[in-house]
Amino acid sequence: MDQLLQHFLNAMILGGTYALLGIGLTLIFGIMRVVNFTHGELYTFGAYMMFMFVMPLQTNFFLALLLAVMLGVALGALIEIMLLKPLRGADIDTTMLIMIGAWIAMQNMEQFVWSGIAKSINNPFPADPLVIGAVSVSWSRVFVFVVACALIAGTYALIQWTKLGKAMRATFQDTETAALMGVRINTVYIATFAIGSGLAAAAGALLGPIFVVYPTMGDMAALKSFAIVILGGLGSVGGATIGGFILAMMEELGAGYISSGYRDAMGFLLIIIILLFRPTGLFAQKERIG
Amino acid sequence: MLKVDGVTCAYGKVMAVRDLTMEVRQGELVTLIGANGAGKTTTLKAISGVLAPVEGRIEFEGEDITGASARTVLEKGIAHCPEGRRIFPYMTVRENLEMGCFLRNDAQAIAKDMEKIFERFPILHERRAQAAGTLSGGEQQMLAISRALMSRPRLILFDEPSLGLAPNLVEQTFDIVEQIRSDGVTVVMVEQNALAALELCDRSYVLESGEVTLSGTGNQLLKNKKVQQAYLGG
Repeated sequence: MDQLLQHFLNAMILGGTYALLGIGLTLIFGIMRVVNFTHGELYTFGAYMMFMFVMPLQTNFFLALLLAVMLGVALGALIEIMLLKPLRGADIDTTMLIMIGAWIAMQNMEQFVWSGIAKSINNPFPADPLVIGAVSVSWSRVFVFVVACALIAGTYALIQWTKLGKAMRATFQDTETAALMGVRINTVYIATFAIGSGLAAAAGALLGPIFVVYPTMGDMAALKSFAIVILGGLGSVGGATIGGFILAMMEELGAGYISSGYRDAMGFLLIIIILLFRPTGLFAQKERIG
Repeated sequence: MLKVDGVTCAYGKVMAVRDLTMEVRQGELVTLIGANGAGKTTTLKAISGVLAPVEGRIEFEGEDITGASARTVLEKGIAHCPEGRRIFPYMTVRENLEMGCFLRNDAQAIAKDMEKIFERFPILHERRAQAAGTLSGGEQQMLAISRALMSRPRLILFDEPSLGLAPNLVEQTFDIVEQIRSDGVTVVMVEQNALAALELCDRSYVLESGEVTLSGTGNQLLKNKKVQQAYLGG
């Protein structure tokens, strides 16, 4: 029982960052219809920014996190303006190839700048874990969970209540009519890609100090993001959130009770099973966001 | 108020509107009639900036708006209520209305306009927190019209507002259009129901395969033999 509780707790904490990755990807796909292969690299980028600020530059840990997320947002906007904007109206194959190219180029750039050796990042949290009854969790993981939840809530609030969020939803539901209402579609696209990228960078910056940072770390993260988005239903922010937690739960339980060697396989097994029964994903009555 | 001069529009290589010239004066209710594919919707799209014309010039209150973005055209005071209602189905009724005044910043006046709309259409008030996609066809049409009004346009373009509605609702929709005109908003309306369109309008243009073949006041066209044969069932 205690072991189950511990797995449950671990899954909640991992699920928060999975949800961030999933929401970022699903927003971009839902609104822009772009399959974003650079998503994993934004995750890696966030982790390396965290490394750069905390380790060589000795910046305050929390400030470093803020900077890493902001730079992720900026990099996302840059990718959108430089690569995707010129491709508006191009067919999906062209866009996909360009994004795959960007993914490879970014990963090699990371290897070039930071080398292939894994880096670790110090964190300022006490080494003693937080013990609640029979379960325990390190403070650094509690922090990851709290920040991830805050970012998820923030993203919801943005989509639900701000003018930009309304413009994003309108664009998602009917791009031409949104333009008739005076929405600048280009601006919505840039903002969407920047926000989605920022969320991926945040996930990387949060998990970097817990695990280690290396150039190919984004590949598995990207694969899992795709899995979460498919699980939750394309374009569904709520689905991506729940999908993130389900995937984490599945991994934790699989690793704990079957074999930790199959940790990463568990999630994909679940996805195969779910898609057999619900090919549109768990929460897609019809594709939607918000 | 609105001058369309020699406008040609194409989708790729397919010509949809050819050398179209029309004029709308302040306070008028002008209709465009014609068969499916005659270029009526394309004409409205060219005016509202959804589609850039290949040739020709569009002028609104003396200003050139040819090829301007939909946002710019809306800022100048032209609202487009598109064919098939095109409400945002997953947004609430209120949010749809808020999208209508997306470019406005005068919160107090917006609140007043919203009040007025809710007074005029109590059903929208009743359903204000409901997803617009759950509304009936008639209610969605009221919402689409109201959404267009929320931008406080001086010219409003209606694209087949009666499409797919039950007969009693069709009548009601035309009443609303009439009312909007009497409130001082100039109206251009595309309509398949030629009889209703001609009875309602001040003037009308008849489109055939992308070209204006006839124009005149509603009464003139109602008496016209060709119009009677082609659009009024003999």
